[in-house]
Amino acid sequence: MERKSILNLIVIFMFSALILGLLNLSIFQGGKFRRLSDSNCIRLISQSGSRGNILDRHGEIIAGSKISYDLMILPQDLEHIDQVFVSISRILGVDVKELKVAFKKNFISSSVPVSVATNIKLKDAILLGEHKIDQPSIIVVAKPLRYYPHGALACHLLGYLGEIDRWRLTKLEDYGYKTKDIVGFGGVEEKYDYYLRQEEGGLSVEVNHRGKFMRVLGFQPPRNGKDVTLTLDLKMQKIVEDNLNGKKGSVILMDSSSGEILALANFPNFNPAIFVDQRSKVIARLFNDPDAPFLNRAVGSSYPPASVFKVVLACAGLELKKINLSTSFVCQGSIMVGARKFSCWDVHGAEDIFQAIAHSCDVFFYKTGLLVGAQNIHDYALKLGLGRNMGFELAGETSGFIPSPLWRKINKFQSWFDGDTANLSIGQGDCLVSPLQAANMLAVFANRGYLLTPFVVKAVGGLDFSAKKKLIKVPFKKNTFEVIAQGLGKVVADTQGTGNVLAALPVKVAGKTGTAQVSRGGTHAWFVGFFPEDKPKYVICVFLENGGPGHAASVVAKQIIEALNNQGLI
Amino acid sequence: MRNSFTKILVLALIIAGLGVLSIYSSTFQKEGTQWQEIYKRQILWLAIGLVCFFFISKFNYRKLWDANYFIYALAVFFLLLVFGLGVIRLGAQRWLRIAWFNFQPSEFAKLAMIIFLARYFSRKSTDDTSLLSGKFGIFRGIILPLIFVGLPMFLIIEQPDLGSGLMLMLVFVGLLYLTHVRIKYILGLLAALVLPLPFFWHFLHDYQKQRLLVFLNPNIDPLGAGYTVIQSRIAIGSGGLFGRGWLHGSQSQLYFLPESHTDFIFATFSEQWGFLGSALLVLIYYLIIRQGFVIAQRTQDSFGKLLAYGISLLLALQVFINIAMNMGLAPVVGLPLPLMSYGGSSVLVTFIALGILVNIDRTRNVF
Repeated sequence: MERKSILNLIVIFMFSALILGLLNLSIFQGGKFRRLSDSNCIRLISQSGSRGNILDRHGEIIAGSKISYDLMILPQDLEHIDQVFVSISRILGVDVKELKVAFKKNFISSSVPVSVATNIKLKDAILLGEHKIDQPSIIVVAKPLRYYPHGALACHLLGYLGEIDRWRLTKLEDYGYKTKDIVGFGGVEEKYDYYLRQEEGGLSVEVNHRGKFMRVLGFQPPRNGKDVTLTLDLKMQKIVEDNLNGKKGSVILMDSSSGEILALANFPNFNPAIFVDQRSKVIARLFNDPDAPFLNRAVGSSYPPASVFKVVLACAGLELKKINLSTSFVCQGSIMVGARKFSCWDVHGAEDIFQAIAHSCDVFFYKTGLLVGAQNIHDYALKLGLGRNMGFELAGETSGFIPSPLWRKINKFQSWFDGDTANLSIGQGDCLVSPLQAANMLAVFANRGYLLTPFVVKAVGGLDFSAKKKLIKVPFKKNTFEVIAQGLGKVVADTQGTGNVLAALPVKVAGKTGTAQVSRGGTHAWFVGFFPEDKPKYVICVFLENGGPGHAASVVAKQIIEALNNQGLI
Repeated sequence: MRNSFTKILVLALIIAGLGVLSIYSSTFQKEGTQWQEIYKRQILWLAIGLVCFFFISKFNYRKLWDANYFIYALAVFFLLLVFGLGVIRLGAQRWLRIAWFNFQPSEFAKLAMIIFLARYFSRKSTDDTSLLSGKFGIFRGIILPLIFVGLPMFLIIEQPDLGSGLMLMLVFVGLLYLTHVRIKYILGLLAALVLPLPFFWHFLHDYQKQRLLVFLNPNIDPLGAGYTVIQSRIAIGSGGLFGRGWLHGSQSQLYFLPESHTDFIFATFSEQWGFLGSALLVLIYYLIIRQGFVIAQRTQDSFGKLLAYGISLLLALQVFINIAMNMGLAPVVGLPLPLMSYGGSSVLVTFIALGILVNIDRTRNVF
């Protein structure tokens, strides 16, 4: 071949190679290079909306948002670094070194504002804002932050806020959650987080090769989260917390016909604001506290119901016709079951069912229990909502526990003895009930026959949630409810009644006390009741952990009802 | 005769027009009027270039035969002048300040060398079409011309302008190949050039070493020497099939791409016009070069023939190396894209070269 043809071919080959190279870059790898090009020049500046408020039933804010001010510095406008930092440190009273360390740590790119100080005072924010005229790099950003106007109020129902953890992130990734998101932990904040959480908006801006802002490409306004309205009544909640303060335990105030929880308090408690301020030492101390201040005792913890359980026995006895209104047992202070002696807390003499409830006579209920049988006691307890989940909406509900001969056989390979039946009859032994279950059981007698589903969230974003809660008709004879309600009334009205301390109230109260023996520490004190007695509207449950005899709980209940009455809330 | 004149003129004007559009798009947003007006200067250069093109195309190329030693001496003189009082820009001393513009003698030297070599290997008489070089021994065929080419080449590489220096060497080897110098001599020359390369490594400037290393892997220095190649590849790749539209590429518009109106104008163009636009541009370049080859083949006169081949080859190599460097397929050497890149010397010399090409074809028909 001639040399010139070879040269011609070489040139053709060279130019074909160029076309192939172009094809590779712009077609085969085009997508990759387009992304690289975009990441070169597009920056996102996020703006956050505010998280939804948590309101009480009248619209008062329990957990809201307040504006917090952050000081940012825009590096591309930063001239005379030292001068700017010195004037900032003079206003904030922070060391220049600290500011510089924060600036270096948070620096991303010259077009992205760098956070130098967070949560600064309003006064300082205004002063810094005035500096913006001669120092254009200073930016004061207002950012919504969780705010609790009533401190620790209803903290166990609210929960708290924190940075999302790995476990939650893996579960929630598909719902648009990202690392570093602030999410609810426990209570309403966690359960309704999806509604409460704000949608982040922001600007996408174009920058040039020096990172200098060129133009705005798009803007998505941030969206605030939806408000959640609780069934709580702020004033009632305050009264309840004030009266419980300092005593370990919980108090529940519930509407007896709908299941709306009007007040629910536990002690010890915590102030959720410590998580907003990120006071890690305080948080660590609370988490290590053996008294478990984060535990929602009313819902998530169960205890021996003691004498409160006698209501179940009375129901079972009446329904199964093992006892009737004329039945009376003589209490001589103790009874022999098998070879073992079971004693009563007093010597009551002959007692009928009303007196037995009023005086909380153990002997009467030992005998009733033995007549009814352990399995029946178990079944009736379950009918009244004990020993199983109520379907309470917040996480961490305990089902409590009611033992039965069958359970004992299967799980412990042990036989059930009459002594166990006697023990169960007065709510001791393996029997466990949460305060909320106890309150819910009493509501059945207050509303004469309906087992409720307690709930705390009334509406989300204006949409009513309360209508969907189910009511279960308890299939007892109407008379049974009347008899027991009457007996409960006598607990207070009878001068010998265990809850006689409440008789002094202007409101007539019915209820049952309980004093639970525990293996360690003092007895637990119970008072579960409803009022007004003739037309019941409210159920109250006062439970004091290691709080002494039932009388102690009755006194707290009395103080609460008295305060409610004085403030005209009932 | 009209034919090749019109073809080359139209193709060159299309490329030059696209070049002006690209120069405008990459500078119109910059601050300062001297930047925003830069496309006007390019248009002025194109106008001057066109005048030269028309003038040269009427001017019998045979006169270059006679002027050949004078042209060679002038080129060397300019290069020496640069050495003495050149303007230092971008770390290199490549420009001579003449009146109101900067002149780059190395551009002129490339053309001068082609004229010199074409004269060297051909006979004076237009009737005798045979080439001398076939009878040349190693001294007259290789060593003597190498000395003549080596002098300006050394001066150019010392500026430093490795790209233009290598360009001269490649054109020299190409012309040797075309003039029937024996293959074994050429291979010997290539071996003599390549073998001592490791030794020459020590004589390269640090930035030249850096560029060669970065060519092998641009990511070793993404913010320094590799930055340009990375950004230029992003610019070309992000254009996709249809490009992002005139005045719309973010790489060139927001100055991520350095030298976007000179050596890397191809990337600027490609980002905005996409694969289709840039493939078409490459095709137009090829058509001009092909026209040059056709003219060379038609010409009986060996001086004209070699001259036409040399000019076409120079154009082909410049286009190829520049575009390959834009795509990261060749090391970054300071070579402009003929007719597109901003720069008076390059535009002027290219139009003069094209004028000579057209004239060769025109004069041939006269015989």
